[in-house]
Amino acid sequence: MKKSKNKRVIFQPIAYKAMQTGINEMANVVRPTLGPLPRMVAFERNTKNERPEILDDGGTIVRRIIALRNKDQDMGAMFLRHVLWQQHEKSGDGTATTAVLFQSIFNQGVRYITTGGNPMMMRKHIEKGMEMVMDELKNMATTLEGQLKITEVAESICYDREMAGILGEVFDFLGEFGHLEIRSGRSRQIEREYVTGTFYKMPLFTAEMIKDRDKMMAYAEDVPIFVSDLDFDEPAQFAPLLRVAGEAGIKALAIIANHVSDSGVAFLLNISRNPEKFQAFAVDAPIPEDGQPVLLEDVAIQLGAKPFFKAFGSTAEGVTLEDLGHARRAWADKEYFGFVNGRGSPQDVRKRIDELKKRYDAAKDVEARNKVRVRIGKLLGGSATLWAGGNSELDIEMRKARLERTVEAMRGALLKGIVPGGGVALLACRHTMQRMAAQAMDEDEGFAYRTLARALEEPARVIIQNAGGDPNVIIDRIDKAGPGMGFDVRTEKIVNMAEVGIVDAVAVTMDAVHQAFASAALALTVDTLIHHKKPETVFNT
Amino acid sequence: MSDELNQESEVQEIVYALASSPDFAKSGTCFSARQSGLYRSDNGGETWKTVYGSLTIDVPLVTTSVVLSPAFPQDGLVFAGTNGGILRSSNGGKSWEVAILRTPSPLVTSLAISPDFASDRTLFAGTMEDGVFRSTDQGSTWVFWNFGLYDPNILCLVVSPEYQVDQNLFAGTENAIFRSQNGAHSWRETGFPAERGPVLSMAISPAFAHDGTLFAGTDSYGLFRSKDRGKTWQHLAGLDVSSSINAILISPEYPDKAELLALAEEQLFVSRDDGLTWSDWRKDIELEGDPIAVAAPTGLAAGSPLLVGLSTGSVIRI
Repeated sequence: MKKSKNKRVIFQPIAYKAMQTGINEMANVVRPTLGPLPRMVAFERNTKNERPEILDDGGTIVRRIIALRNKDQDMGAMFLRHVLWQQHEKSGDGTATTAVLFQSIFNQGVRYITTGGNPMMMRKHIEKGMEMVMDELKNMATTLEGQLKITEVAESICYDREMAGILGEVFDFLGEFGHLEIRSGRSRQIEREYVTGTFYKMPLFTAEMIKDRDKMMAYAEDVPIFVSDLDFDEPAQFAPLLRVAGEAGIKALAIIANHVSDSGVAFLLNISRNPEKFQAFAVDAPIPEDGQPVLLEDVAIQLGAKPFFKAFGSTAEGVTLEDLGHARRAWADKEYFGFVNGRGSPQDVRKRIDELKKRYDAAKDVEARNKVRVRIGKLLGGSATLWAGGNSELDIEMRKARLERTVEAMRGALLKGIVPGGGVALLACRHTMQRMAAQAMDEDEGFAYRTLARALEEPARVIIQNAGGDPNVIIDRIDKAGPGMGFDVRTEKIVNMAEVGIVDAVAVTMDAVHQAFASAALALTVDTLIHHKKPETVFNT
Repeated sequence: MSDELNQESEVQEIVYALASSPDFAKSGTCFSARQSGLYRSDNGGETWKTVYGSLTIDVPLVTTSVVLSPAFPQDGLVFAGTNGGILRSSNGGKSWEVAILRTPSPLVTSLAISPDFASDRTLFAGTMEDGVFRSTDQGSTWVFWNFGLYDPNILCLVVSPEYQVDQNLFAGTENAIFRSQNGAHSWRETGFPAERGPVLSMAISPAFAHDGTLFAGTDSYGLFRSKDRGKTWQHLAGLDVSSSINAILISPEYPDKAELLALAEEQLFVSRDDGLTWSDWRKDIELEGDPIAVAAPTGLAAGSPLLVGLSTGSVIRI
């Protein structure tokens, strides 16, 4: 093997020590943000005269840490940073829980391994324990239903009563797959708007097609719709459609196309001069980069239309009335094309939704999953837009970011259910780990389960600590109080967590366990660090 | 013995719906929604008179559904569903106000009223093509949301008896039963097997808050029951019919008295053991037409009067 002069190799015991320092440094930055009474983290800005950035979200905090000065320690810090960012990306929440779980397992593991423990065996048993904890959490989960419960969960994620109230209403209406857009607002509050029906990003070819000047949209009722990705270069290409419209006595026609030439647009405007008698409007459905017009297929299913696709050699020639889709109401403006109550077969819509739900479950990539979710939401119908308001631009930005991550976590909660919050669900899983430790066949196995039992206590401890309580005393009280009981840091009382609405999304908690346990187990097997003395040039400019 | 009642109209009649006053036993007041309009009887269904006399209309106003306020004897509120609108009378049918639904106006197929109507003033209208409309001002204005209701053709509608608390209602469609838990703002499909649709009729247990029980009558697959608020459904094999179940009635004392009535093509079946076994309501009756609508003004106990609306336009009292 070719040796690089630029490589520096770090062996034990320095490697563990350095990794541990870096990991602790990264975890300790995030720890104060765990729980409903978090401490903030302030980041210095690049320009000295700006006030520091105040953050309470673990995902964003770790993103702000680019590197540690000590390169050996930096490897540990960046390892954890990556784990936490993955958690943030996947769940939108749970980064601080992931951090404290990871930190606890890693620190205990290092102590054991440096006194002769076997890291590979530790990893094996930690991963087995992880599966057991995940199963237990899954079994503990209850369904999230009703506006009140949804609001409570939202508040346990965002710690913002106004935001939680609005999200409770929005998710009660939209459900887990509902189409929800979040935008920066201009007022001080969060504002919301609901839209019935479905809309797609398909603008009118020209704003001159807008006949309703009050609402600034083209609008028609009981409207046939031609669904295609065809190009209309010449007005004559509209002839078959107009023939069908004329024969059927149609008063309004909507056309979805990939391109309509200027002369085509002028022709449509001309024949729509008297919208009382007849109007036609056309919207632009651009062909996606991958060439797969899946959205148009969705639209066609909802409207009960036969789609005309270039890829299949379709043209508008020979179109019949039966090929056209139909909606009770259709509208279009400079940005969107929407409709209410398409006349597509409900069986076909249901089949498509089922198919997409399977694809959603199978999707590993967040972006792909979100795309599928948006499509399901549009097929189900109904959507909401939230405008994040605030007292300043910075405040608006922060609220928008918080809304986005709360929404992500809420979808998880609605899909997979909820468990008691405040670290109580994880505390409940300790008993299985303690039992496994008692039944262990060897020292490595016993230590691994004891490590996990102790780690599962850590989130509750940190929440109590962050609120100024004594974790040892309070955890003892929780244990004595029985299952489901936990410490409400705001009232400083032992309560039934689910009953008072202190709950967590089980999907977030399970993701946190998965990320922390699997990654910490892997980190414990790192024996040697190798890094570049000088960073390599990646791009030559 | 069945008594066919005198008809007020020469129009080819169908009785779509029947409704009786809560004080029927005393007043004998009931309404029948028919092809030719809405009719009222004040003698327990013996004679009927149109209540659209005050309306200036050239053609018969097809009336597909009717509901009465739970406090009808006091407030006289009647609601009638037609093609494109909902009519409201606050004097038992003497005069009417019309609420036109949003254009293009849909056909109203069913009406359902909140059990707490006196305080929440809420009622619902199921329609063809436009889903479920809701009014929270005693029927003056109607709006629809229908989030998640991807089948907007509503064939039947029931409201939870605990609506004020749980905001639950169910809508039967061509292939599914949808449930709303927020007063018709949004809907989720229940676990009803799609291949067993259309769902023509539904009934909800008066103790729904505790037993979560619902019944659904289908076009050709008989009767189904759910005991978990629609999550899962069981076919009630005891009612061995392949014809359509046009209506289901449930005893007001259910589940203490587990009595059910199912209106199948040409027959009326009753079960007194929660749907396990079924028998004819009365063996000596031969119906001259398909039963389309039924009302049991005083419950389902043996000997209680039933009003049955037929496909021939007759309403019989048995």
